[in-house]
Amino acid sequence: MTEALIVRGLRKVYQKPAVDNLDLTVHSGELYALLGPNGAGKTTTLRMVAGLLKPDAGTISVFGVDALADPAAAKQQIAWAPDEPMLYDRLTPMEYLEFVAGLWGVDARTARARAEELLKWLGLWDQRGQRCESFSRGMKQKAALAGALIHEPRLLILDEPLTGLDAAVARQVKDLLQQRVRGGATVILTTHILEVAERMADRIGIIQNGKLLAEGTLAELRTTAGEQQGTLEDIFLDLTGEAETLPA
Amino acid sequence: MIGATGSTLWLLRNEMRLGWRDMLGKRGAMRGYIIVGVLLLAAGTAGVGLGFALRHVQIPVNPLSVILSLAVMTAVFTLMLSQTLAAATQALYARGDLDLLFSSPIGPAKVLTVRFAAIALNVFTGFAMLIGPVLIPVAVVGHWRWLGAILVLAALALAASASGLLLAMALFKVLGPRRTRTVAQIMAAVIGSMFFLAAQARNILGGARAGGLWLDVVKFAMEPRHVPPPAAAWPLRAMLGEPLPLAVLLIAAVGLFMLANLWLGRRFASDAAAASGAETASVSGSGSPASFATGAFAATVAKELRLLRRDAALLSQVLLRVLYMIPVSFVLLQRAGTQQNWLLPGGAAALALMAGQVAGSLTWITVSAEDAPDLLACAPTPLRTLSRAKLTAALTPVALLLAIPLLALMVINPQVGLAAAAGSAAATLASGWINVWYQKPGKRADFRRRRGSSWFVSLMQALVTMLIAAATGAAAAPWPWTPFALIPAVLAAFVLLLLRRTDAQIAEALRAAA
Repeated sequence: MTEALIVRGLRKVYQKPAVDNLDLTVHSGELYALLGPNGAGKTTTLRMVAGLLKPDAGTISVFGVDALADPAAAKQQIAWAPDEPMLYDRLTPMEYLEFVAGLWGVDARTARARAEELLKWLGLWDQRGQRCESFSRGMKQKAALAGALIHEPRLLILDEPLTGLDAAVARQVKDLLQQRVRGGATVILTTHILEVAERMADRIGIIQNGKLLAEGTLAELRTTAGEQQGTLEDIFLDLTGEAETLPA
Repeated sequence: MIGATGSTLWLLRNEMRLGWRDMLGKRGAMRGYIIVGVLLLAAGTAGVGLGFALRHVQIPVNPLSVILSLAVMTAVFTLMLSQTLAAATQALYARGDLDLLFSSPIGPAKVLTVRFAAIALNVFTGFAMLIGPVLIPVAVVGHWRWLGAILVLAALALAASASGLLLAMALFKVLGPRRTRTVAQIMAAVIGSMFFLAAQARNILGGARAGGLWLDVVKFAMEPRHVPPPAAAWPLRAMLGEPLPLAVLLIAAVGLFMLANLWLGRRFASDAAAASGAETASVSGSGSPASFATGAFAATVAKELRLLRRDAALLSQVLLRVLYMIPVSFVLLQRAGTQQNWLLPGGAAALALMAGQVAGSLTWITVSAEDAPDLLACAPTPLRTLSRAKLTAALTPVALLLAIPLLALMVINPQVGLAAAAGSAAATLASGWINVWYQKPGKRADFRRRRGSSWFVSLMQALVTMLIAAATGAAAAPWPWTPFALIPAVLAAFVLLLLRRTDAQIAEALRAAA
């Protein structure tokens, strides 16, 4: 199986290590959920993969491309969607998509057709002429997601994609991600909503203090944690030791 | 603590603090206080000297002094109006603040009164700080009644605030919330520069008579048929401290302010709510491009031009500078065909200098104001392409603005025209590149508060554009001065070489800033 992402010995230190000798492998065509408590190093890891942060040590390979040696080639295959949508308030969604498509070198005609398709699919077609500043959080998130998908990335990285979304929009985003995975794309997401990871992810990685604590399917994680009937929440709390901090 | 919590005074203190911090910017209060303190001390020292010099001077109330006082008052009033108009639209759009205030138990009427008063007080403080340090020592040394001018200033601030708010509300009613902001900011810029343009009217219109505006005013005032009515002298009498005119002026200003407050009070909350609604529901005209741009360069240029066009605050700033360029252009065009004198090289140099300044403003905001830096950083597009696209977008409006006057100048006087064109192009590019090399990334919204780029960039930009302007002036001057253009041109090139940063250095600086 082709690996979408191989991370080896990844390290990033600020005052203390944010990511500490991390090894991670994400298979092509799977939906991988990276979980961890606040400050565990999830976002730092993903920002390094997306080329936004330079690691202090380690290697990153995206579909066989060395992301540190040839960042442009790696970026060409990646889309990064953080929890705060990367939008321009004074642009309309169509203008935004035109810009993003240009950045990834998508041919103008193809880009326009994809923009139309994405906006219609995400229910933003009627708002295509409105500036993003007038959008609700959910609409902004959808516009940003359309931007992430306009160049049809092979690896889609989403940091807390469901934060602040209402149930309907969250459902739409989840459907879209699953549709992309069925279409052959690879999705890596972080989330604090463990039910989402439990239901959607093919494999789950749990990270704490910049280190990978456990990785595998839900069944494999249950075995690791020794909780055969436990939910992902039970496993997560158990593995991270956060269960002990909860009041009795 | 001034005033009980939740009282009008308490709220006013908060408004003033915000206004004051806006004025000082992010440099920190202490540094701002020190700068202001030093300036006040210098002005005060000059005021004491002036006070002794003017101790025995009496200002006569005659047609000339009356006309001059009215002209000064009108100038101050229009300048204040430009500020209050901009502040009034800001008051309507400062949504987070208004949401907080309207959701508190403090009544909307009190919020309105305080906001109106704060606008007036902020405007008054600005002008009082300009004339106070000079006027107060003069008054203390020998003319205590002249302190009336400070009260006249307060009256003008109240009247200008009321007028600014009425104008903003009227625009709001006619144009709707979004356009009000744009139009008000442009109007503020035009009003602010009106007197400069009026003073240059003779140059713009090409008057045949010699002499300046001052001589015209004196001549006009001296004509017996132009005796102003007695009421016209009241503002001057008020400034000179006569109790009755001063009281009438103050009562009239306070009355106007109260009336505006009462009349607009009912509308304010609903208009503010409508403005909030506009932020979340309004539709822009042509938001769907007919065809997409191909490639990162073209797409970035298109995006930046759209963002520039939609930035009302920036447009008003640029418009102000462009307005100042108009008289220079007219002087150049008029004289270019008729005579060769020092005004021509001077004008060409001024044109290059101002072109550099406008280009600097546009490049600074285009390059540094980036709402989605991560989007650019995670894209496979090289930084060089993005920088060049942004620079192209920023310099396009400058090129369009200068194209017609420069072409006309080249036809009328090729030497001056070529020198002005080369100088303007060099100044524009130099300012642009300095801002690219020393970009300081930030959110676009934050840039509204910042008045300019860092002091280093501003200083270097000023130095290089001045050198280029000097070269332009020399190149436009008659022989034997023309070769001297090489000296400042080489110096400018040398400074630019010293300042130059490679793409890798820019990327490293951006990473460090992030």
